[in-house]
Amino acid sequence: MVFGIILFLAYSIAFLNIDLGRLPGAFGRLASFIANRYYPPDLDYVMEGGYLLSVLDTLRMSFLGGVFGVMIAIPLAWFGAFNVTPSRILLYPFGRFSIMSCRAIHETIWTILFVSILGFGMLAGVLALTVFCIGFAGKLFADEIEAIDKGPVEAIRATGANALQVFVFAVFPQVRVAFTGIAIYTWDVAFRAATVVGFFGGGGMGWYLKRNIQQLETERVGAIILSIIVLVLIAEGLSGQVRKRVARAKYGAVDQSAKARLIRRFCLPLFSILVTMTLPISPVR
Amino acid sequence: MSAVAAVGTESGPGAAGADRVIQGKRTGRLKGLAVIGFMLAVVAWSIDGTIIADTDWSRIGGPKGVFSSLGRFLQLDLGVLPHLIVPMIETFMIACLGTLLGCLFSLPVAWLGAANVTPSRLVAYPIGRFLMVLSRSVHEIVWALLFVSAVGLGALPGILAVAMRSVGFISKITAEAIENIDKKPVEAIRAVGGNEFQVMYYGIVPQILPVVLGVVIFEWDINIRRSAVMGLVGAGGLGLLFFRQMNMFNYGGVTMVVLAILVLILIGETVSHFARKAVT
Repeated sequence: MVFGIILFLAYSIAFLNIDLGRLPGAFGRLASFIANRYYPPDLDYVMEGGYLLSVLDTLRMSFLGGVFGVMIAIPLAWFGAFNVTPSRILLYPFGRFSIMSCRAIHETIWTILFVSILGFGMLAGVLALTVFCIGFAGKLFADEIEAIDKGPVEAIRATGANALQVFVFAVFPQVRVAFTGIAIYTWDVAFRAATVVGFFGGGGMGWYLKRNIQQLETERVGAIILSIIVLVLIAEGLSGQVRKRVARAKYGAVDQSAKARLIRRFCLPLFSILVTMTLPISPVR
Repeated sequence: MSAVAAVGTESGPGAAGADRVIQGKRTGRLKGLAVIGFMLAVVAWSIDGTIIADTDWSRIGGPKGVFSSLGRFLQLDLGVLPHLIVPMIETFMIACLGTLLGCLFSLPVAWLGAANVTPSRLVAYPIGRFLMVLSRSVHEIVWALLFVSAVGLGALPGILAVAMRSVGFISKITAEAIENIDKKPVEAIRAVGGNEFQVMYYGIVPQILPVVLGVVIFEWDINIRRSAVMGLVGAGGLGLLFFRQMNMFNYGGVTMVVLAILVLILIGETVSHFARKAVT
């Protein structure tokens, strides 16, 4: 069977007309390309108001996509979890199928579809990110629900509760902390997707990327890619810290107040920074 | 909050402890409400900034306009069907080759990024970790754009872009698996006089192989999605067909391409489901 796979891969290389001679030089060419054309990056371009506003828009789009996606994903995950779904014949396939179809189509294709229906702009972007988050978070939520302890579920069921009450009182308290961690991770992944949603018309930083690539302004492209990398690294660091604190809060002695305090400590300065960024820039728009 | 109450009543000194617990519950609830209120405020501010400010509502044409646009997508253009086969095979092959190349690239990165086998904890370990994060932060479309400008159009930049994107996740899981191995087989092989290569091949690799194979199959499944969109920027496969149908405003054809992608994903999910069961 391994031999069959190797045979298939060799056939693929021939089928795709891949010139293997180009492969060894590819990274050398990429490195010289980056050194000659993308360096020095045009940092003044990414520091001006229009671009920074699009960064803010990207952040807001990813936040909205995350919030709405997670909100819709929770009931869908409940339907799609085999152990606690209210109806195994009807709602379980519906839940699983919805989550799978949201996940199956790449976020850029969702963006193109929404843009062609709703026009360019952030509405299409936010909807595309929402659908992406439903797929991403829904699968993680459903797997998490399927891994819970059966005890409380059976106990609540024994008192005669209906399916919704079982979910609220037996399932949700067990998965609440894990859901918070998954939600933060989903926002992190949504931000990475949001950076290129604009490339296809969904608003945000990606539009600047597309425009500068088409105008062959490679130094600005280098600066934009650099800014994407920096922002994603910051977002990942932030989300990692909050997730670690949330997980520690579950197992530590002091929980809710520490978690809320920490989120406020991060969000309040971030919020004020974002607001001050908007105010002087709004007249430009 | 109930956990705090349980701890408080067990260890607090009598009535004073109970008062502190009740006070803690009240402030804890207020702080929870503050967080929710703050999040609602940010949501409202975001909606105002993005959707309400930026959307041209008249151009959308109201619900009727939206439904007529949707209807255009639902008029399937079956004439596209014979043109779907070759791009589907191409996309599948790009996913396979890209995952394989990603595996090859992630082996050295995982070796650098695993705290117990890295050659230098001060220099190589952070480099390995940074490469993992870098590969995951840059979106596959951006990788594809970089490689298309470096090696030209076709399937090769798509394969390279998919490979570079997969390196992050595969090497991260591999590094964690290497860090979690049982030391005893490694010490046993060192004790009978094995050199470094034999230690790795007989001691480390059999322990991490199930985890690594599982994550490779998982990543291969995701790469089918990614390969389908590589063509949107010129890197071959179904994405190119999608792009052309979109440019011809042939919405029925666009739906056919999306259905072809769904078929590929279904095949990938089924194969990956059974393969992962067989491996772990």
